[in-house]
Amino acid sequence: MIEVHALCKAYGPRKILNDISLSFAAGQVVSLIGPSGGGKSTLLRCLNGLESFDGGSIEIGGQKLVPGGAKVNARALAAVRQKVGMVFQQWNLFAHRTALGNIIEAPIHVKGLSVAEASERAHRLLKQVGLGHRADAYPHEMSGGEQQRVAIARALAMEPAALLLDEPTSALDPERVGEVLDVLTALARGGLTMLVVTHEMRFAREVSDRVLVLHGGTVIEDGPPAEVLERPQNERTRAFLGLDRGPR
Amino acid sequence: MVVLLSAWACAGSPAADDSLRRIKEAGVLRWGADVQGGAPYIYEDPDHPEKLRGFEVDLAEALASELGVKAEFVQNDWSALVPSLERGTFDIAMNGLEVTPARTGVVLFTRPYYVFASRLMARRDDPSVVADLDSLKGKRVGTLTNSYTADQLLAKGIEPVYYEGTDEPYQDLVAGRIDAVFHDDIIAGIYGEPRPQLRVVGDFADGFYSIATPKTDHSLRDAVDAALEKIIQSGKLEEILRKENIWNDRQIGLIAWSDADQRRLLGEPVVSTLRWSHMIAFVQAAGVTLVLSILAMAIAIPLGLGLAVCRLYGNAVVSRVAEAYVELYRGTPVLLQLYVLYYGLADVIKLDAFTAAIIGLGMNYAAYEAEVYRAGIQAVPKGQMEAALSLGMSTPLALRRVVLPQGFRLALPSVTNDFIALLKDSSLVSVITVVELTKRMTITAVDVRSWAIPGLMCALLYFVMSYPLSLFARRLEARLARS
Ligand SMILES: Nc1ncnc2c1ncn2[C@@H]1O[C@H](COP(=O)(O)OP(=O)(O)OP(=O)(O)O)[C@@H](O)[C@H]1O
Ligand SMILES: [Mg+2]
Repeated sequence: MIEVHALCKAYGPRKILNDISLSFAAGQVVSLIGPSGGGKSTLLRCLNGLESFDGGSIEIGGQKLVPGGAKVNARALAAVRQKVGMVFQQWNLFAHRTALGNIIEAPIHVKGLSVAEASERAHRLLKQVGLGHRADAYPHEMSGGEQQRVAIARALAMEPAALLLDEPTSALDPERVGEVLDVLTALARGGLTMLVVTHEMRFAREVSDRVLVLHGGTVIEDGPPAEVLERPQNERTRAFLGLDRGPR
Repeated sequence: MVVLLSAWACAGSPAADDSLRRIKEAGVLRWGADVQGGAPYIYEDPDHPEKLRGFEVDLAEALASELGVKAEFVQNDWSALVPSLERGTFDIAMNGLEVTPARTGVVLFTRPYYVFASRLMARRDDPSVVADLDSLKGKRVGTLTNSYTADQLLAKGIEPVYYEGTDEPYQDLVAGRIDAVFHDDIIAGIYGEPRPQLRVVGDFADGFYSIATPKTDHSLRDAVDAALEKIIQSGKLEEILRKENIWNDRQIGLIAWSDADQRRLLGEPVVSTLRWSHMIAFVQAAGVTLVLSILAMAIAIPLGLGLAVCRLYGNAVVSRVAEAYVELYRGTPVLLQLYVLYYGLADVIKLDAFTAAIIGLGMNYAAYEAEVYRAGIQAVPKGQMEAALSLGMSTPLALRRVVLPQGFRLALPSVTNDFIALLKDSSLVSVITVVELTKRMTITAVDVRSWAIPGLMCALLYFVMSYPLSLFARRLEARLARS
């Protein structure tokens, strides 16, 4: 359902994404790993048009994004963003709205749902992420883990076909990581298409169907978790995973 | 407090009368007048703007040379000439200062140097104004603040429209903003009569211009009186007045001016005191200030928000236009903007004074609000916009629903502080005849010859209006800091 073709992206003279071609099937859960600065966030941001790119194309559910940014892609972007939801490392909840307010905002103003419909959906999603009791809390009144779960519920409220998550647990206290991963695991089991940038190797290994390693703007490894994580072909992957340091 | 004030009031007036000796020793006679009063009194020479002309300039020179000293001009707002004289800013006040019972109570007057008539003027096409002051009831009559003509109108129960310049009332009469102008004949002759749309309705009671000295300076007053006598008898005064084309038969009476005439002119001094009606007028004027400020802010907030959005998110042209607006309005005095809006554009759009005041202040403050919002919007983390876009919102929708509400919140304490500043800046609109709190205070203070009590009243009223706002701003700030 997502096709990336020969994607190139540079900041000035620095090439960040180098001729990337990928294809994601519906229902697939993909972990995107790799060293810092490898271009993971950039790739994700290109996929829903938060970042423009210089070459290649991206096709999502029949809508095609091309180089040139928001102006050129205005119509496709509107459709694409309703098809893929995004969850950020720093949550980015709307600071002036409650948990419920955050979730119903887009369904009402983008999808045209009534307040009642949107609220009903929001309450259901809050329950789903284990926050049924926090509907009226403001972001600054919630822990990071709670905020991130609200952010996931907010993305789900638009009923996206796929979810892009950029290090959803990296900014959390260690004891809060579990609650967010549990939610993601449940979503994965439920059949949602997900592309997750993560450093959680357990999640990558146990939950995802496929692991991608991005290094220096190229995909250097692509396969089932067992293969990529246990028997990587590329030595840079081995270095990144710490497999060359001998038996643990 | 009262003790302090009276002590301070006493310190302002010299104890013994050494006024004449002091001036002779200094070698200069400082005389106070207002150049804004214009021709023929005192005005800048059109060919040499650094040089002053006018019959009072010539008279000051003549007086000084009679006294054997040099004349030194001191610029002073006309309506505050008497208080400035009292506190010693200059030695004598000479600027079309009419002898009125209220003034004779607080200053010493010399014999008069000019006889004027109070002249009523109206539009040619408006026959409803007739030569009877009572017929003016319910009409809008313009005159100079704290002038003899203003007193005459007030005595008839007519609240005048107050102007600070001499040309503006006639300009507004032509424009139809007022129904009549009641002013000294000299002024009418120069600024009113040349306008073909206007007619002279009639002249009323003779009035007299005299030179004023502080209440204690008898020796100075007597010396100036004697000098004036010489200047009149020698024909020098006639020469001076003829130079400005204001000599007429009325002035002949000045030559044989007797002590009896002078006593009759001064009459019984009336000391006007602060009354309840003044207090009520103060509170009403405070209401004007408040309403004016609220309405101006109601323009400034949305306009400022629009400007900020244009500057941040508009295309190159829109953004430049918004920037130019902000720089233009911040870079020029609001007083000038009010003048241009009210008088300058009168041919294009004829706004009434109150509307012009609201629009003028509103448009000026919009420039400041724009900058406050711009800072507020820029302080909203970038992630908020990205999150909104990633949910499928368009940029305008994301702005309206997510970024602007947060930016506005961040800006709210500054907006409240700006409103407090606006409350005080609104006093500037008195230049376009709106009588708000400060103007009311000035009128009353000059009327009752005391600045202390009216000043305190005025300050108290401003404080009562601004302090709750200031508390509100502080609470908002504290709440923002917490979240
Ligand atoms: N706005 C920008 N301007 C210039 N360079 C940028 C910009 N954003 C990112 N980069 C650079 O692009 C490269 C890839 O960044 P990206 O954030 O995609 O890496 P990442 O794989 O997500 O790393 P991390 O694991 O640290 O999040 C980095 O070297 C980064 O410095
Ligand atoms: Mg990243």
